[in-house]
Amino acid sequence: MVLTDLQPGKRATITNLSIMSELLKQRLIDMGIHEGEEVCVKCTMPFGGPVMVEVAGQCICLRRKEAACIGVE
Amino acid sequence: MSQIALFGNPNTGKTSLFNNLTGSYEYVGNWSGVTVEKKVGILRSRDAYVVDLPGVYSLHPLSRDEGVATDFLLTESFSTVLNIVDASQLKRNLHLTIQLLEFGKPLVMALNMIDVAERRGMKIDVKQLSTKLGVPVVPVIARTGKGMDELAETLRSAQQPKPLALTYDDVIETAIAKISRYLPDDIERSKRWLALQCLEGNERVYDYLRTKIELEPILAIRKQTEESIRQLPHGRSLRERLHHLRETFIEAVLEDVVVWAEKQPLTWTEKIDAIVTNKYLGMPIFLFFMYVMFMLTFDWLGSPLADLLDQFFSGPLTDTLSRLLTAMGASKFLQELVLNGIVSGVGGVLVFVPQIFILFFFISLLEDSGYMARVAMVMDRLMEAIGLNGKSFIPMIIGFGCNVPGVMAARTIEQPRERLLTILLLPLMSCSARLPVYALFVGAFFQAHQAEVVFSLYVLGIVVALLLAKLFSSTILKNEHSVFVIELPPYRMPQALTLWRSTWDKGKGFVRKAGTFIFGGSVAIWLLSYAGPKGFNVSMDDSFLAAIGGVLAPVLAPLGFGTWQAGAALLTGFLAKEVVVSTMNIIYHVKDTETLQGLMAHYFTPLSAFSFMAFVLLYVPCLATVATIRKETGSTKWTFFAIGYALVIAYIISLLIYEGGKWLGLS
Ligand SMILES: Nc1nc2c(ncn2[C@@H]2O[C@H](COP(=O)(O)OP(=O)(O)OP(=O)(O)O)[C@@H](O)[C@H]2O)c(=O)[nH]1
Ligand SMILES: [Mg+2]
Repeated sequence: MVLTDLQPGKRATITNLSIMSELLKQRLIDMGIHEGEEVCVKCTMPFGGPVMVEVAGQCICLRRKEAACIGVE
Repeated sequence: MSQIALFGNPNTGKTSLFNNLTGSYEYVGNWSGVTVEKKVGILRSRDAYVVDLPGVYSLHPLSRDEGVATDFLLTESFSTVLNIVDASQLKRNLHLTIQLLEFGKPLVMALNMIDVAERRGMKIDVKQLSTKLGVPVVPVIARTGKGMDELAETLRSAQQPKPLALTYDDVIETAIAKISRYLPDDIERSKRWLALQCLEGNERVYDYLRTKIELEPILAIRKQTEESIRQLPHGRSLRERLHHLRETFIEAVLEDVVVWAEKQPLTWTEKIDAIVTNKYLGMPIFLFFMYVMFMLTFDWLGSPLADLLDQFFSGPLTDTLSRLLTAMGASKFLQELVLNGIVSGVGGVLVFVPQIFILFFFISLLEDSGYMARVAMVMDRLMEAIGLNGKSFIPMIIGFGCNVPGVMAARTIEQPRERLLTILLLPLMSCSARLPVYALFVGAFFQAHQAEVVFSLYVLGIVVALLLAKLFSSTILKNEHSVFVIELPPYRMPQALTLWRSTWDKGKGFVRKAGTFIFGGSVAIWLLSYAGPKGFNVSMDDSFLAAIGGVLAPVLAPLGFGTWQAGAALLTGFLAKEVVVSTMNIIYHVKDTETLQGLMAHYFTPLSAFSFMAFVLLYVPCLATVATIRKETGSTKWTFFAIGYALVIAYIISLLIYEGGKWLGLS
């Protein structure tokens, strides 16, 4: 399952970041989105816009196609 | 004097702390990437310098502003690191702390935002944290100034820390040892730190080492390590492995340092977010906010205030000055210079101070509340479609105040091409200096629809910027890979004092410009209009100014304003756009805005006035913006491009407006 499949408000654990581009992966890891961490999808913007997720009490916004590269369970 | 350097994650309150420690006022705002360059101040006790730096997540920079912090570590000498840590995000913040400890300089930790942490139900055992990391930790609230004295005291006695107790796994430790052995002995930075940064793949450190040694062997060691790590059971990259090992260490440190209370109920940030970042309401709410801001600035509040000020300048002030000058026995020349040159020129611009302060107040409100990052999120989809990203929208909003800080704010955009594109398009954002020009013209020609006409100009600027972004990003500035990740900070109630200071700080620039550029410009313009080829005190039409402006007149004729007056005003407007208004005031030789507006009806029609305003909006960026673009792009070519395309597009748009309007039967 990937992050974009997650229902808003539901929690899951990040399991895989490996298909992400290097630059982006580093940014996300810096911000606390790394394997083993719990995420929760807060909301999504219309027309394929970005999604807002919460990790460890911090809200982060990223694009949907990139969120689709994050494997969760 | 010793130097204390502030390091910390973005938006953790470094600048707030800096302001408190030094008593200065630097730019504070509630989003990541407010500070984009180094700022130096002096401690209140006057015995050390304090350096504020852009926020970074790690010492491996991804964007231009982050590079400033790493470069500081590599090239400058300083005595102490002051690490600001957001207590409510302790785990994430400590990654940077570890890298700073590895650097090996004396370090003091300021544990900031303890008020936020407490509200979230976190209890932090400061003593234990301090013992476990081997550095002094001082809890503070940078916003209110709590804990500052203790912090200053601790900074004074900061000592070399014990080496950090973190050892990485065997593979990495071996690599560190290998690289360290290879580094020259006289190198000034900690070898272990350099080795670790090399393993991270830190380009800035590579550049630094390249000036001293051959880099190939180090890169080879890194490659080899990377491969060994990949073969470990979990198969992560080297960088992820480093992060993971640090994370494990941090978790052990925090184990009995942080105690969580009950799970907290919904915070009000979540409640507000449910509305303003709502799937369907997000965009309308943002547009509504902008609308209210414009109406207050131009209609409901700003205009009446500006009128009052205008009456004061043209009435009591001019009379008093005139009487004073006569009493002093000033010559006719001096009297005319002061009354027709300086009072008309500078006063004509100062009249708009209330409107500009209202606008700045709203921009400060946006900045300090936490809404700014949400706007970036709401706008991202649209920006993506035209080849930019949501983060580009933040510099653009700042650009409504003044283009110069807007261009600077583009530093936080990771992709160099997107950053360049944002910088190039920024001058199309209608800054506050253009506002006096609009106000003058709408007052004269569009009495009944002032706010709507001005609003249409702002929209014109944005629409042209978006269209050009699409054009440039699909031709000369093709983007391989766009990146957009942004942190959304919790909302914070803006403090009255901060709001006032940040409004004043921005508005100050406008007033100062009136005293310098516009003052000087007014004197020069008046002299040029007073003197001509035939001598002094000539009629205005025979003056040098008329001759200079006259050269441009035929070129401008197709746009509807082919007079030497318009030509002269536009030329001087390159200095600063408000000077257009000063020039008009001086040329038409009137005492107050009202008479001027009456007089302008002879030279402009409503249609050509609108065409003129559009031209002023789009034609070249002002001098200060051009200088900043030059500095930020580091390229003369792109600077000329920014000027050139603006001139072309301004000409085309004004032509379309004027000819199109005529064709439609407007005049
Ligand atoms: N509640 C609370 N808010 C704080 C505290 N310290 C700072 N803030 C707020 O946090 C926000 C960010 O402050 P800045 O000082 O601009 O942060 P910075 O670290 O300089 O940010 P960058 O320059 O973007 O890296 C502002 O809105 C401050 O008012 C604190 O101790 N408690
Ligand atoms: Mg700052």
